[in-house]
This record gives sequence, structure tokens and C-alpha cells, in this order.
Amino acid sequence: MIEATLQLNKSDFKLEANFSVPGRGVTAIFGPSGCGKTTLLRAIAGLEPATKGSLSVNAEQWLDANGSRAAEERRVGVVFQNPSLFPHLTIQENLLYGRKRLRKVTKTIEIKELITSLEIEKLLPRYPEGLSGGEKQRVALGRALLAEPKLLLMDEPLSALDQSSREKLMLLLEKFLQEIQIPVFYVTHSTEEVARLADNLVLLANGSVTDHGSIQDVLGAVDGELSRSDTAFSVIEGQIATMQLPGLISVDCGAGIVFQLPDSTSVSGAHYQLGSPARLRIRARDVSLCLEAPQHSSILNILPAVIAELATRPHNGSRIVKLDMEGKQLLSKISEYSVQQLELRAGQSVFAQIKSAALI
Amino acid sequence: MLTQPDIAALLITLKLAATTTLILLLLGTPLAWWLATTRSKVRSAIEAVIALPLVLPPTVLGFYLLLAFSPDGPIGATTAAMGLPSMAFSFWGLVLGSAIYSLPFVVQPLQNSFAGLGRMPLEVAATLGAAPLDRFISVVLPLSKLGYLTAAVLGFAHTLGEFGVVLMIGGNIPGETQVLSIAIYDHVEALEYSQAHWLAAGLLLCSFLVLLMIYSANRRFHLMKTA
Repeated sequence: MIEATLQLNKSDFKLEANFSVPGRGVTAIFGPSGCGKTTLLRAIAGLEPATKGSLSVNAEQWLDANGSRAAEERRVGVVFQNPSLFPHLTIQENLLYGRKRLRKVTKTIEIKELITSLEIEKLLPRYPEGLSGGEKQRVALGRALLAEPKLLLMDEPLSALDQSSREKLMLLLEKFLQEIQIPVFYVTHSTEEVARLADNLVLLANGSVTDHGSIQDVLGAVDGELSRSDTAFSVIEGQIATMQLPGLISVDCGAGIVFQLPDSTSVSGAHYQLGSPARLRIRARDVSLCLEAPQHSSILNILPAVIAELATRPHNGSRIVKLDMEGKQLLSKISEYSVQQLELRAGQSVFAQIKSAALI
Repeated sequence: MLTQPDIAALLITLKLAATTTLILLLLGTPLAWWLATTRSKVRSAIEAVIALPLVLPPTVLGFYLLLAFSPDGPIGATTAAMGLPSMAFSFWGLVLGSAIYSLPFVVQPLQNSFAGLGRMPLEVAATLGAAPLDRFISVVLPLSKLGYLTAAVLGFAHTLGEFGVVLMIGGNIPGETQVLSIAIYDHVEALEYSQAHWLAAGLLLCSFLVLLMIYSANRRFHLMKTA
């Protein structure tokens, strides 16, 4: 477990973060710009000495009433927004900077293997100058991991990159962060990054944690902060199934739930293999409800569902409805008028029309 | 050509400049680091005190030092109590005077260099397990090379050319406290213009070469940074 009760008063900002998340997997710290995500990460890393409260990471106490452990004693790996490699050291020396300072190398992370999977072998003798943003960020990730951290913190590591290197690093992170046996805190304001990477979610707004828990729990909280916002979305996992229909990709989510998506591989350059795992991100505002199965619709995905829960109150004239599709959870955001007209209530069978779903 | 006392003056000048520079680099490092990183309110006051020698006539500084070195002055009383000889008209008196006089030329480049690093490299080093002194040695020092070069060269060159402070507190004892600038003055007073030329032109050339070194190092550094 990672349990945090942190308070930090800065001249222009107040952080009040209380949450606990499992001590493994990727926890996304999500919120709009300026909500204190970076400050929270810095407090966890020990870079904000004025932080009060308590913090324990897998039974190690980093902060409590008796004092705070210095950043260099926390064994926390940080990948900052800007890669900040040491310009006076070669890539190899950068990579080994933290590892050299370990009292005991436990060899859980093999140098060669890591360098290979980060695709940075060729850079080793070079200096950071002249490396691309993506290369620098991969080296920064390697440098943090080789110091065998107890917790890896990543502060919007993709935000300083251009679109193509962002996609490349994202694909690598998706694979990589699941494989390493180190808990990761990943700060982002992108719903796509949350949907693709996160197992757990901590929502932050104006310096306070508004919700935290597993991604399905937080995303599915109909009265939660995220559901009320414009970004409300669901994540459904499945796998690429046979491509039966021309121009469409099928994603089989089990229990007879199959999504059809326009095949945009020629555009995105991505390549999908049959049977490979896939995640779908579906915005709540792209899901509408019908009481009867609509005929002759241009909408590809119309699936039967049961209303599991309605938000207790409408918000800005709309209401969030949580649907259950054979155990898969899907949020729909519809107008309060429709809720009243269709007399929607929990337990009712409906058809969900999904206008668009993003394969991520 | 150079006479025996001229050579003695040259050697004393070099020894004085080297000793002063070394002491200033050692003392200036923590001072400059503190100034670059502190949020203390007294910082501005300390900065102003350090910059005083830039604007003060050297004779003013020399005058107060001479008073301090006298048996009733704070420094004179201390050295007397410790059984040490008076610092007035001695080499170490010159070192102290030069150190105070050249202090801003060493502290300011170091301070600018430290401040220019920002907190980022240090924070990265901390999260990678480097303790404060380790961070300073492994990150700050190598990234401040140019600052140190500038500080050393300016401190050295400024001490070479010193006149007023030295004359006030060191007098003009050949072979002991007579430095180049004073030897030149003596030659001019005695109308020995060719002797004065040798020393003056030598000092001029030396100063030019030293400054050329800094500026070309600076240029190389900037080219490297923008590459």
C-alpha cells in the first residue's frame, strides 16, 4: 500500500492530499493544469521540505510527525517533464549515476536488458546534447530505474515531446510499466494516457484529492468529480478479433460484447494483431440510450445493457448513467430531459448506442 | 633589462596573486553558494558589502586595514595576543588586503554560475541518491567550470594590478612587500623610463593574454552549449 496524508502550504497554493492506493501497478494522478499534480509529486519525492503529514510506501515510512526522510534517502525514481540529463556526463554515465550510489545493488534490474528494451544502446558513448526529446526521456527513465527505486514518479513525461515521439514512447511505456515490479505514479492531464496506462487513479482538483481507487471504481463513480466533468469516460478491455467486416476492426470484450471500429490503421500506422489485447476508451457523451433496438442506424455499435445506477442529481442539465453490459461498465451522459421522458431507472434494460470508441 | 629588485617584485606579485586567488576560491565557494541559494533577507546587505571594493578607492580600504593592523586595532591586538608579528608591512598583510579587495571579482562569477544552474540538476541528483556534498562535487563543480575559470582569472589579474591597498598597508619594502605596480611607480619617479617600460609592457601583455583566455573559453563554452 501507498498511503499519503500530505499538507503543503506554499505562498500561492495549498496542497491537501489524502489517499491510499495499492503498492503496485500504475497509479495515474489526473487533473487539470494547475491543480497541484506536480507539487504532489514533488512532495512525494521529498523535494518540498515544508510538506507535513505522513507518507508510507509499502510499509516504509517516508514522512511522519517525527520527521521527513531526505529525497536522497527515499530511493524514489523521478522522470521529470523535461528530461534534465546531466550535460557533463555521457549517456552511460548518466544511466549509472544513481546506481553507483546504491549501497547494495540487488540486480532486480539488469542493465543490459533495460538498455535494450529502452532502445538506447547506440547512445551510450554520446553526451545528452543533440539527443532528441524522446531519446532523452528514455535515458531519464532508464537512469531512474537503474537506481532501483521503491517508487517511480513520472511527471507528464510525454508532454514535452512532438506527436510522433510521444506515440513511440507511449507504446514503450504501455509494455514497460506493466512489466517492471515497481509501483509507478504517473502525472497526466490526458484521458488517453490514463486509459492506456493506469490501473489506479487519483483525481486532483485545486490541490485536493477528490477521488482515488482502482480505475474502474473511480471512472464509474456516477456522482464523482470525473463523471461531472466533460471528460467522463469508460475503459473497456478486450482483444482484437477476426476482421469479418470490410473496413472494420472487431474488438471482442467477452460475453458476446463485440465492438466494431473503423479500421484506421492506414492512417495511424498502427498494426493490430489478431488476439492481441486492446483497450477501448469511450467518452460518456458519445453514448446515448434507446429503449428499443434502433434499426437502420449509421451507428456501428448498438449493444444491450442494463442501467446499473443513475447519478443522484443532474449536472448542467445532463445526467450520468452507469450501464452494465455483462459485467462491463459503461458510462453514458444524456440530457436530464431524456432521463425524464424515457423514465429511466436502475435495473431497466436499454440499448446503448456508442457513437465512437477509441482503440488505444 | 630587469634588475634584481624588479625580479623580486615580479616574484612577490605572482606569489601574492596566486595565494590570494587560492584563498578566495576556497572561501568564495561557500559564500557564493550561500548567496546563490539563500532566501535570507540579509543577502542584499552581504552582496553590497562584497561589492564595496568595486566602488571604493583602494586607499580607503587600505587606510582602514592599516588602522586594524595597528597594535590597538582589532586585527593587530589579536595577532599580538597570539604572539604573531604585526601584519602591517608584511606579505600576509598584503594577502589579506588583496583578498578583501579582489573578493567581488571571485564571488560574483561563482555566484552567477551557481545561480544559472537552477535547482533542477540538484533535485535530479538528490532523487538518484546523492547527498548534498556529493551533489556539489558531482554536479555543481563540473557544471561551473567556466565560472571557476572566470573567477580565478579575474581574481588573479585584479591582484596583479593592485596599487593603492598595497601601498597603504605594505609600504614599499624591496624583496618583501614591493610588488610590480609599485616598482613601476618607483622607476617612473626616478625617471628610469626604460625599466618602467619593461615592467609596464609586461603587465599589459600579461593582462591582455589572461582576458583573451577567458573570452575565448567563454566563446567555446557558448558554442558548445548551442551546438
